[in-house]
Amino acid sequence: MSDVRNAEAQAAADRASTYEWGFTSDIEQDFAPKGLSEDTVRFISAKKNEPEWMLEWRLKAYRHWLTMTPPDWAKLNVPPIDYQDAYYYAEPRKKDGPASLDEVDPEILRVYEKLGIPIEEQKVLAGVEGARKVAVDAVFDSVSVATTFRAELERAGVIFRSISEAIREYPDLVKRWLGKVVPMRDNYFATLNCAVFSDGTFVYIPEGVRCPMELSTYFRINAENTGQFERTLIVADKGSHVSYLEGCTAPMRDENQLHAAVVELVALDDAEIKYSTVQNWYPGDAEGRGGIYNFVTKRALCQGKNSKVSWTQVETGSAITWKYPSCVLAGENSVGEFYSVAVTNNRQQADTGTKMIHLGKNTKSTIVSKGISAGRSDNTYRGLVRVAPTAEGARNFTQCDSLLLGSTCGAHTVPYIEVRNPSAQIEHEATTSKISDDQLFYAMSRGLDQEASVALIVNGFAKEVLQQLPMEFAVEAQKLLGISLEGSVG
Amino acid sequence: MTLALPTTRDEDWRWSDLSALPALADAAANGGAVVPRWIGEGPRLLFVDGRYDEAASDPGPVTIGAIDAATDHPLGRLATGAGWTLSLDKDGFGGTIEIVHIAIGGANHVPARIMLAEDATASIVESYIGDGWANRLTRIDLARSARLMRAIRIDQASGFTSLRDEATLAGGASLVTTILGAGEGGTRIDAHIALDGSGAFAEHGGALLARDAQRHDAAIVVRHAAAEGTSRQLWRAVADDKATTSMAARVEVARDAQKTEGEQSLRGLMLKRTATVNLKPELEIFADDVKCAHGATVGELDKRALFYMESRGVTPDRAKALLTHAFIADALDRIGDAPAREAFLADADRWLEARA
Amino acid sequence: MLKIENLHAEVDGKAILKGLSLTINPGEIHAIMGPNGAGKSTLSYTLAGRPGYDVTEGKVTFDGQDLLDLEPHERAAAGLFLGFQYPVEIPGVSNVQFLREALNAQRKKRGEDALSGGDFLKRAKVQADALGFSMDMLKRPVNVGFSGGEKKRNEMVQMGIIDPKLAILDETDSGLDIDALRVVSDGINRIMRTPDKAVLLITHYQRLLDYVKPDFVHVLAGGRIVRTGGAELAHELEREGYGTIAA
Repeated sequence: MSDVRNAEAQAAADRASTYEWGFTSDIEQDFAPKGLSEDTVRFISAKKNEPEWMLEWRLKAYRHWLTMTPPDWAKLNVPPIDYQDAYYYAEPRKKDGPASLDEVDPEILRVYEKLGIPIEEQKVLAGVEGARKVAVDAVFDSVSVATTFRAELERAGVIFRSISEAIREYPDLVKRWLGKVVPMRDNYFATLNCAVFSDGTFVYIPEGVRCPMELSTYFRINAENTGQFERTLIVADKGSHVSYLEGCTAPMRDENQLHAAVVELVALDDAEIKYSTVQNWYPGDAEGRGGIYNFVTKRALCQGKNSKVSWTQVETGSAITWKYPSCVLAGENSVGEFYSVAVTNNRQQADTGTKMIHLGKNTKSTIVSKGISAGRSDNTYRGLVRVAPTAEGARNFTQCDSLLLGSTCGAHTVPYIEVRNPSAQIEHEATTSKISDDQLFYAMSRGLDQEASVALIVNGFAKEVLQQLPMEFAVEAQKLLGISLEGSVG
Repeated sequence: MTLALPTTRDEDWRWSDLSALPALADAAANGGAVVPRWIGEGPRLLFVDGRYDEAASDPGPVTIGAIDAATDHPLGRLATGAGWTLSLDKDGFGGTIEIVHIAIGGANHVPARIMLAEDATASIVESYIGDGWANRLTRIDLARSARLMRAIRIDQASGFTSLRDEATLAGGASLVTTILGAGEGGTRIDAHIALDGSGAFAEHGGALLARDAQRHDAAIVVRHAAAEGTSRQLWRAVADDKATTSMAARVEVARDAQKTEGEQSLRGLMLKRTATVNLKPELEIFADDVKCAHGATVGELDKRALFYMESRGVTPDRAKALLTHAFIADALDRIGDAPAREAFLADADRWLEARA
Repeated sequence: MLKIENLHAEVDGKAILKGLSLTINPGEIHAIMGPNGAGKSTLSYTLAGRPGYDVTEGKVTFDGQDLLDLEPHERAAAGLFLGFQYPVEIPGVSNVQFLREALNAQRKKRGEDALSGGDFLKRAKVQADALGFSMDMLKRPVNVGFSGGEKKRNEMVQMGIIDPKLAILDETDSGLDIDALRVVSDGINRIMRTPDKAVLLITHYQRLLDYVKPDFVHVLAGGRIVRTGGAELAHELEREGYGTIAA
């Protein structure tokens, strides 16, 4: 019976291999010369009218990057990447001063529509009165082209800018924190990002301010062979609160596209940052051709006492994912959370997890990871919980569950626990299972077809994580899980 | 002799400290022999500085000679030349064989080979005592339904003990290995256990107790290559003073190893704030119809329990010893040979009492 | 409504049903009784289309349609409901979510409009109230942490919400105390005892039949029906045991 079902699953997976959001939009590009050199770095910096210190910083990173080698410890099979055979900068042509929506290239707005930006946000973009307030700083191929609600945010004192603008307008603030959470020499991909980051987002929430709206950024890779090097820096000052949503899709491409973003979060005393991601970049076709390489460094510094950072991610896309959103819990009583659903299908590979570094007293961390593997994919949870001698009373709870759909995929769990303080309490649990025939039959006997049954059960499996997402993302994420797994019954 | 040792950059050695080995490898054997403490009355073998002491031994079914057990393990491959072999068939000796290894300074390397034919059964108890570096490679092949119980205590007064096991289990075979580290030297325990036949059973675990600046380090891989196998890894790590106890345990389930049941329980106990416990319970799974779970915890002794005991008149040190004993006892309970189990528990208690 | 002709079915290559025939008309309640291993559960699973229950011979039609040709969810949409002997736990999925999706999938297949969240909840509340099942239970994950009795009651709530034409109730009485049995029986009578519906009760004991009066009682033994009678047959079985009758 299971053979029959596997065959069905394979056939369905083949059918589902057409990427739902595969399209390209025609927007003229302003390219940096192909390849990577000091000249490329200078080109990017000049293009962005950066101050001298920023250029120096980039060059320092570039020179160090030349001495580094790519990491090889992840359970990933990464084809060699020719860094000279890629473009490092592409800017959509724009009219002068894209301050208002009317001036935004209509092509870009059409792309949003195709992207299925939630209706509420479309209303916001269209300026409908009374629409729910979601500020969208749209990153379209590296450069921020439209920023809405800036005025309202500014009334609250919130700075929400593209990072290029912030470097020019708030140099002291940027200088103070850029590279402080993820140091310039942190790792191969982060260092590369330091050298060539194209654009990204800067957010500053002043002391005591609760950000009046959820901030969301849509990332999207559009130009063929354009590496994407986003840079995000969010600083939450004392007692402030912000929720940031990041969602991504990418059009279908044959060639692999490298994405090496860096996200740095800083939470000062009593501040809280909630960072949610739904990642649905092009995963490649059923044979593993094409697809995004997603090599991202995300890290939060809980610097202040009672600060809190919560990472939630739903990772369904990309050919290869290498991503470990982490928390350095320096402040007393600070809290780090990591909630993750990672789905791999066909030939996708994901090595993702988190690092919780407990430095301060009574710091707490929670890790909930749900890995779902199907097709011929490999899905690895890799996590580190480290308790320093100073972290008196540290607590961690980790739950890692893996679900296998079919017998040609792999599910791996690689947790590291390093404890140097006896008052720490560390608990780690992990399970591996498959969807049971009983569950499938029960759901089907109530009228759900096989795919709906699988989607329902998988969503149940991932529920603990999905319910951490803001509502509009949760709905999208549930749909994504279903779409990503179509036909993949074990 | 030049030693090519792995470094902490190597994933399997990230928590290891092998810095003492080059000096031990070059040192001359000069220590006086320690008197072995035998547990039972059965066959016994004594190795002093890696050499078989015929006069002090009664080898029973064990033979001495050159061993062919090639490996590319960085420490195991150093154990070449003469060693001991136990090859048994179904009707062979079924009792416990005791082996004592006395190190007398310097390095000693001994290979060993255990081959059990179909339905054969064996029980082996090994002890490591003395001073110096004792390095062992043990190649184990269990035929269908063969059963091997091993109990190993590492009790050197100083130096380093490194053990490398490489085992293959045919269908229905069973291997149970229990290790106690209660000495004063450094330790590295390596094992690769392959469940090649269906329905095989492997258990590998024990208790590693470390104090002062000691470092115990274990890296165990259990590989399920066939269906319906069961494996358990039950480890207890205790670290006191500035000691470090590290355990990396991996369960691998190959594509065809359906209906595998794998269980890992790694628990660390820290007795002082200067100590370190590192755990890595790893699962690598390629089959979908498996039950694999692991649990890992690190913490200190339950303060409420300590206070409760003290309030009933137990001294704080004794209360700690009792609770620590309880913490490690279930790992040592797996030793099948009753006198050996008693002896190992007594060693553990001696270690706990010496804390006071 | 349901017509089973010479049904042969096997599980793991072992023949369990060996030529079973049975016709159920609208408005009828049938009970199938029999000793352990007679093939009672195999019959219910085979009718519901459980993978692994392979029909080797025979024919089953449901409202004139070839039932054996349909996938399990298509049988559900056609109006067949199986009350499970051991209801399955589905962690993380609430009863409400599960049933709403199931019901709307069935309605879609039948070309009916989907029920809105509000309408569905109203419908669910009616059924839950009637069965003494709290809304809180309805919001909990499907069967997770439910007692045996709660699971069976949940099956009846589901039946009430889905409102099938034919209910096959597999040992729905097992594991119930007398009060729960009464509640469940009332549910069966209330939901299913109408001229256009039918029930196939599969049970080992006669006591359920005191509350849900069958029109026909069949004795299943050795994979086929060996005797058929009215409600009085159940009492006879209770007195005499299966030994003499099945022999």
